[in-house]
Amino acid sequence: MPIELTMPRLSDTMEAGTVIKWNVKEGDSVKSGAVVADIETDKATMEMPCFDDGRIAALLVEPGKQVKVGTTIALLALEGEDVAAVKAGGAKSGGAAAAAPAAKPAPAAKPAHVAAPAPTPVSQTETRHGMEEFSEGGPRMRVSPVARRMAEEHGVDIRNVAGTGPGGRIIKRDVELAIENKSARSAASIAPAQALAVSTGGVQTPSAPLALSLPGRDVALSGMRQTIARRLVESKTTIPHYQVTMKFDMDRLIDLRQSYNEKLKASGVKLSVNDFLVRACALAMAEHPYFNASFAGDHVRIHEVVNIGVAISLPEEKGGGLVVGVIKDADHKSLRQISLEAKALAEKARTKGLSVQDMSDATFTISNLGMFGVEHFTAIINPPNSAILACGAAVQQPVVRDGALVVGTQMQATLSLDHRVIDGAMAAQYLASLKEFIEEPETLVV
Amino acid sequence: MTAVLSNPVFREPSLLGGPVREIEFRDAIREAMSEEMRRDKRVFLLGEEVAQYDGAYKVSKGMLAEFGPRRIIDTPISESGFAGMAIGAAAMGLRPIVEFMSWSFSLVAADPILNNAPKMLYMSGGQLGCPIVFRGNDGAGGQLGSTHSWCVEGLYSNVPGVKIVIPSCPADAKGLMKTAIRDDDPVFFLESERMLGSKGHVPEGEYLIPFGHAAVRRAGAHCTLASWGRPVNFCLEAAEILAKEGIDCEVIDLRTIRPLDLPTVVKSVKKTNCAVVVDQSWSFASPGGELAALIHKHCFDDLDNFVHRVHSDDVPTPYSAKLEQEYLPNVRKICEAVRSATYRA
Amino acid sequence: MATTTPSGSAGTPSSALPATPRKLPSLPPATLIKWLRDMHLIREFEVRCTQSYQDKKIGGFCHVYIGQEAVAVGCTQAVKPEDPIITAYRDHGHALARGMTARACMAEMYGKVGGCAKGKGGSMHMFDRPNNLYGGHGIVGAQTPLGAGLAFATKYEDEVINGGKNSRVTLCFLGDGAVNQGAFYEAMNLAGLFDIPVIFIVENNGYSMGTAIDRGTTMSHELTIKGRAHGLKEATIDGMDLLAVYHDMHELAEWCRANSRPAFVDMKCYRYKGHSMSDPRKYRTREEEERYESNDAIAKFEKALIDHGVVTEESVKEMLKGVREEVRDSIQFSSESPEPPMSDLYTDVFVEPWGRYTGSSLPEFMGGADNVCGFRATDGKEGLV
Repeated sequence: MPIELTMPRLSDTMEAGTVIKWNVKEGDSVKSGAVVADIETDKATMEMPCFDDGRIAALLVEPGKQVKVGTTIALLALEGEDVAAVKAGGAKSGGAAAAAPAAKPAPAAKPAHVAAPAPTPVSQTETRHGMEEFSEGGPRMRVSPVARRMAEEHGVDIRNVAGTGPGGRIIKRDVELAIENKSARSAASIAPAQALAVSTGGVQTPSAPLALSLPGRDVALSGMRQTIARRLVESKTTIPHYQVTMKFDMDRLIDLRQSYNEKLKASGVKLSVNDFLVRACALAMAEHPYFNASFAGDHVRIHEVVNIGVAISLPEEKGGGLVVGVIKDADHKSLRQISLEAKALAEKARTKGLSVQDMSDATFTISNLGMFGVEHFTAIINPPNSAILACGAAVQQPVVRDGALVVGTQMQATLSLDHRVIDGAMAAQYLASLKEFIEEPETLVV
Repeated sequence: MTAVLSNPVFREPSLLGGPVREIEFRDAIREAMSEEMRRDKRVFLLGEEVAQYDGAYKVSKGMLAEFGPRRIIDTPISESGFAGMAIGAAAMGLRPIVEFMSWSFSLVAADPILNNAPKMLYMSGGQLGCPIVFRGNDGAGGQLGSTHSWCVEGLYSNVPGVKIVIPSCPADAKGLMKTAIRDDDPVFFLESERMLGSKGHVPEGEYLIPFGHAAVRRAGAHCTLASWGRPVNFCLEAAEILAKEGIDCEVIDLRTIRPLDLPTVVKSVKKTNCAVVVDQSWSFASPGGELAALIHKHCFDDLDNFVHRVHSDDVPTPYSAKLEQEYLPNVRKICEAVRSATYRA
Repeated sequence: MATTTPSGSAGTPSSALPATPRKLPSLPPATLIKWLRDMHLIREFEVRCTQSYQDKKIGGFCHVYIGQEAVAVGCTQAVKPEDPIITAYRDHGHALARGMTARACMAEMYGKVGGCAKGKGGSMHMFDRPNNLYGGHGIVGAQTPLGAGLAFATKYEDEVINGGKNSRVTLCFLGDGAVNQGAFYEAMNLAGLFDIPVIFIVENNGYSMGTAIDRGTTMSHELTIKGRAHGLKEATIDGMDLLAVYHDMHELAEWCRANSRPAFVDMKCYRYKGHSMSDPRKYRTREEEERYESNDAIAKFEKALIDHGVVTEESVKEMLKGVREEVRDSIQFSSESPEPPMSDLYTDVFVEPWGRYTGSSLPEFMGGADNVCGFRATDGKEGLV
């Protein structure tokens, strides 16, 4: 059997080699150990020995051609074999030299045109080696693993638990407290933490980082904005929202308001349209308790107090954003009281900021963009409410009354509702009640 | 009859029910070595000053008189040479005990102790074991300066094929040393110069303590303190202080770093929801870090806080007494860590 | 005590190498024939090793012994089977000379289960406990304290445990490069101090990798002074002459055995090939290589045996055929031997996995250790860690 001499692996990193020079010709006799060729490898030029006695039957590769390690480059006829026949038979294995482009002598070198991979940004852990506190960029809600597990096991909504650990982290004893309270009151509590706590606990916006490469600037999110972002995403993604809109004739309310304000001018009270709306919504709860309720997983919790939240927008200089001030027991407060409180809340919000008390325990929320001229919009429910009323501007427009076309002032109000608690028919009925109150505003005074 | 101590809660071995004696840490090691040398002629001791000087730290005091110069051998100052020689002897079937006057000096012998002893069995396909014990003083605290104060567990724990034993009291030193000598694999036995004179109760009679069995030194409900070696004693001191503040610590003495008794630690952390690891080596890439990572992995849903760690400060050991005491994983640092971990800071 | 020696070290051109025909030792012809066959076997084995490496069957490092066969065979035959031997990484020759089968040696390099270390050691780690071969070591010089330890142990066993007299001698081979390592000096110091019967045989082929000995070692022209400095007995031996090696080593070994003292041998020899597979040998001339190759130890011994009528050219041809067949068989065996199973990754880390002792010495530990944590070496599972 003739022997195939293959391109040998002459260094541990060699992948291919080039015959620089053959030291034998076809027909030459060789003994084991004879150097048959000089081979250029990735590291150096080395001698290639053969390991058997015989005669060179064929040289299959030209000098200068680079071939892969293992390629047959010559044939050796053993004693008793016919050189010509062996040559004619050719290489059985390995095939003809798989010639790589002759130019590059260093097969293992990486081609230069491959761009270096972009360096991975140094993470905080590397630059801050040794430091154990990272206050920015934490999880969306800080909860220790055991606290989370305990809350789950005991059916406590972790979002309702106040965290007393560093950065607002909810820890074991907070959940233990919540469990205790739960069993004491046997209800999902509306804990203060439900309010828009303006803590600096890092909040992660759920959207992916922008992939745009347009020119621009980055504005950091304030704590308020982060909280808004978090809560409203939660709301929109967990509550099945739908909207119902109704138009209200505002003429009589506007007139009534005007006459009251004249009388109350001396006492410094100035009623706003919103004050009437607050009272109207509050009174309507009596007949529509489901609008004063919260979804609680396997049941609906109907609240016994009516706390109307009023959306207050903050000036951009104060960081902008939106807070909800709460007028508690709104159904037991007069228009005058509601007005004073609403103004106080708005003032406080715009100056020193609302307290947790001011912002907690709303059972229903009203948002009014009428002062900006907006006619219609929809709002996002403020959890754990079941509904929110979005009021537009009272606008003079042609209306049909008693079959005649007259000028009237109309306002559109849109309810956003949690379909798990309130059906469309219920919504319509509530709006109908509201309509009665608003279009006959004297009823709000009693 | 040989008693076996398995995971006992003993601070006072008298709880085991048998008679006890009070001896020094160095006596405990000597007793263990002597008992094993009487039992098995293949066991012998070599090292600097172990024979005629009676031991640089008097651990081998009197052994030359009992066993003679063929079995208690003074070596020249030649750690690489005599460590390698002892490993060769172990490959042949003898059971040498090699004393490094300080584990700091073992660095000179790093090649034989790390490249030969733990690898021989693997490289030879199971043909040649290495039943050898290396022992010596490990750790800082005696104002010995930075080159003489190494905690080598920070380096050597990384290597597969080595067993690392680090007792915290005389009773453990004796039982673990006997096990180390009988073990057929290379054992690094880490003592502490600071503890050599410490007294403790030791059960009468022969007993061995197996590797990979931690001891719960103090039961508690609020926080698990996991440690090994001399710092276990700091943990117990800290636990007394914290108890007065209403924080109840459970102190676990791992006794051996490799093999590591993770189940005992896990069981404890699942109970307390809070862990502090105390390791006298420097913090970066240390066995303390390894244990903390393991606790995070196995107790992820049971932790109320991340695993806190207390190490020696990440600097070469200072000479000044004041600085050195601050440098150590001392009682104050342990208390601070526990308070932080339990949110009582 | 020192014997005839080529002038100068192997690294410097030496004009005269003795060609004195030596008297054959009075041993049975079969023994002498075995010596010749062993040398031929090593030569052929190493040639095929090179080929296998270039065929990518052997990976990592591979250091062949071609040219130095007389040293391994001569020294091994000069001592008894119970005398321990330890060497560095150019160890295939010593392994085969000591009695390891070609199959076990080749399969180890192929990384297969049939290898002497089940494929987990490789070319540099030839271990053969039954034949008293203690490796096979990769770190230069590391085997020298180990060698002292082996001899220490045999002496301890003979004298301290069994109350008798030292009966064994250890051969510790090292290269001329290892002479520069600190560990070697410590080993010699300890050997001299403790009367350890170890013979440090420096296989002085004149080069440590690419560095000629006079570029790396002081007193390279009188290497034995290093041993003399520690009180070791000295010898300088012509390693290219099997009969010289056998005769001088035998005499030296018997002396060391009887007196329980260490020795230092400057064994002058030459490796025909590079340090390892990827060495193009640019640091010496082809003329030098050819000069040594023309004075080949195997050829010389073969001629001596033919001249004395112990073998004939025909019988040598037959022997060579048999040798080639044995090596070819070892390659076949290695190709067919399976690779180690994945579970072998975790075996032989410890003698026993913690908790279950099968050896003679540790019965008293608790059984049923359910909370064992750490290494489960034999069943290969990770356990909790």
